[in-house]
Amino acid sequence: MTDRKPSPLLGGATEAFVHERASATPRNAVLEAAPAAHGTSTRPPVVASFDRLQSWFAASVTHAGLLSEGVVADGLVSRLDELERVVTRGPRLGALERLGVYHHGYRARLVECLADDYPAVQYALGTDTFEALCHGYIARHPSRSPNLNAYGQHMSAFLVEGASGVDLGTAPLAFLAGLATLEWALVEVLHAAAAPVLSLETLQSTPPDAWPSARLPRADTVRLLRLAYPVNAYFQAWRTDEAPTIPTAAASATVVYRHELTLWRLDLTPAMTALLSALFGGETLGDALAHIEREVHDAEELAEAERSVMIWFREWVAGGVFARIELPDANLEGACP
Amino acid sequence: MRVDGPQANATNEEHVANRFDLPNLGIGLGLRTVHYGHILEHAPDVGWFEIISENYMQTEGKPLWFLDQIAERYPIVMHGVSMSIGSSDPLNWDYLREFKALRDRVGARWVSDHLCWTGIAGRNTHDLLPIPYTEEALRHVVSRVREVQDFLEAPLVIENPSTYVEFSGSTMKEWEFLRALTEQADCAILLDVNNVYVSAYNHGFDPDEYLAAIPYDRVVQFHVAGHTHNGTHIVDTHVGPVVDPVWRLLGHAHERAGGASILLEWDADIPPFPVAHAEAKKAEQWIGGVAR
Repeated sequence: MTDRKPSPLLGGATEAFVHERASATPRNAVLEAAPAAHGTSTRPPVVASFDRLQSWFAASVTHAGLLSEGVVADGLVSRLDELERVVTRGPRLGALERLGVYHHGYRARLVECLADDYPAVQYALGTDTFEALCHGYIARHPSRSPNLNAYGQHMSAFLVEGASGVDLGTAPLAFLAGLATLEWALVEVLHAAAAPVLSLETLQSTPPDAWPSARLPRADTVRLLRLAYPVNAYFQAWRTDEAPTIPTAAASATVVYRHELTLWRLDLTPAMTALLSALFGGETLGDALAHIEREVHDAEELAEAERSVMIWFREWVAGGVFARIELPDANLEGACP
Repeated sequence: MRVDGPQANATNEEHVANRFDLPNLGIGLGLRTVHYGHILEHAPDVGWFEIISENYMQTEGKPLWFLDQIAERYPIVMHGVSMSIGSSDPLNWDYLREFKALRDRVGARWVSDHLCWTGIAGRNTHDLLPIPYTEEALRHVVSRVREVQDFLEAPLVIENPSTYVEFSGSTMKEWEFLRALTEQADCAILLDVNNVYVSAYNHGFDPDEYLAAIPYDRVVQFHVAGHTHNGTHIVDTHVGPVVDPVWRLLGHAHERAGGASILLEWDADIPPFPVAHAEAKKAEQWIGGVAR
């Protein structure tokens, strides 16, 4: 059990999960052709206030269906052949095609963002199905933030709720949701503040008789995930190009954490899970250890837990898993030596 | 590690040609995550780095750690994409407070954003959407730029965007709008000559006419970038090398400005740092008499 080694995801200076959106527009736009060629409009421009025009423009370019439907959806433009009274045709493209650059760019940019956050979900679904999933997500969760760091935060819940009915093929939603939970935990941990954490020195200087009443809260750079599928094993196989297939359901637990600049994933045994869950839930160490006996019924695993629990703690503390140790006597509390 | 970055740039900063006394930092690069390791390990001789402001907002983790390291060694300029200065929504003061705090944290030499809007009704499209160039829009944007400048206690640097549509109701050209805005709001200009080229092709105007209308004493920075030519239109993708006509526009504009900081943006299919750096340094071949 103590040979369970965490898997690094990202180390050093190379990292994903930062959505580098500059003032650039995605390429490869497939523009919706105007249904008929138009001559240059000689009719006067549609009179609209600044904010009315912006409302129409935003509604058009974020429209989930065809742009030709979006531009006439809110009433500013009543018919497609009226479009050039709002947006001019260009030297080589009609008004609808020109607007199409924005219509395409809106969703393409957000799909790119979600693909950065959820590369394993994308692998599991395939590119086309993943894009359909993203289109459903974008329609359900338009961005309300100045940046894209947290844009994908609702994906797991979106999948649990049925992904707005998007056809995702045979992949079980619970598996996809679990995989999304794991991938989002990595994003959250990447962006979490690096606050001081409990050190080995502080742990070792704690009087043994204080241990049962000690509390060990979770560090901000740590997430404990309890999942219905072995998604970390799947994720690891995907990371190492082993072309994994979707596994059968089986409970798993994984702790995701950042230590210095590296993200780690560590699968937990049931005993580890019981212990860490209780500690992160605010229970004392004494009560948390009692959880192992209540929740683990395999005699061999119980014996292994008894032999290894101190090794686990040393490894977890070395990885920065606990924020601090809290003792009933406040003078003994500390995060650092 | 490079230890003489800011000092090495002191010579560059001697020359100031703009009315805001903002320094000419020479030739810089957009800071991208895939280059963090190279920059910290090799300390390349780059004049400065421009960050996408929002990439370092609403995060307290690794991105800021790297930015802090690099800001200790190089001058930093902040380039935003979500101020939405042209939106009819109210200004986002939570955003502006965080933006200002980031500026102060990294000691940004100046801050910029685009002549555009990015959303309405609280929704962000994360795109740089075009403004109708009307008197109503001008009054609105002038008022907002002034408000932001008062809050920042510094000039706001406004970049001309690439656009793909024009509004039938516009009553002035983009360059007329930009000139009026910057003069009425007393703000600075980031002149993106690639954007001028892209929009000129997409709308059929003469890029030289655009450049001739710019008030160069307000230009504190230039952008150059690659783009994607689709035949019927050009998309500002920031990918690949800069084409010669864009370099030529840079040379003309740089000369008119009497020199200003130059920055290469490369945001898709990002090559190894030395390749991007070599592309940026090509600017030296095009800025002739005012090159340093």
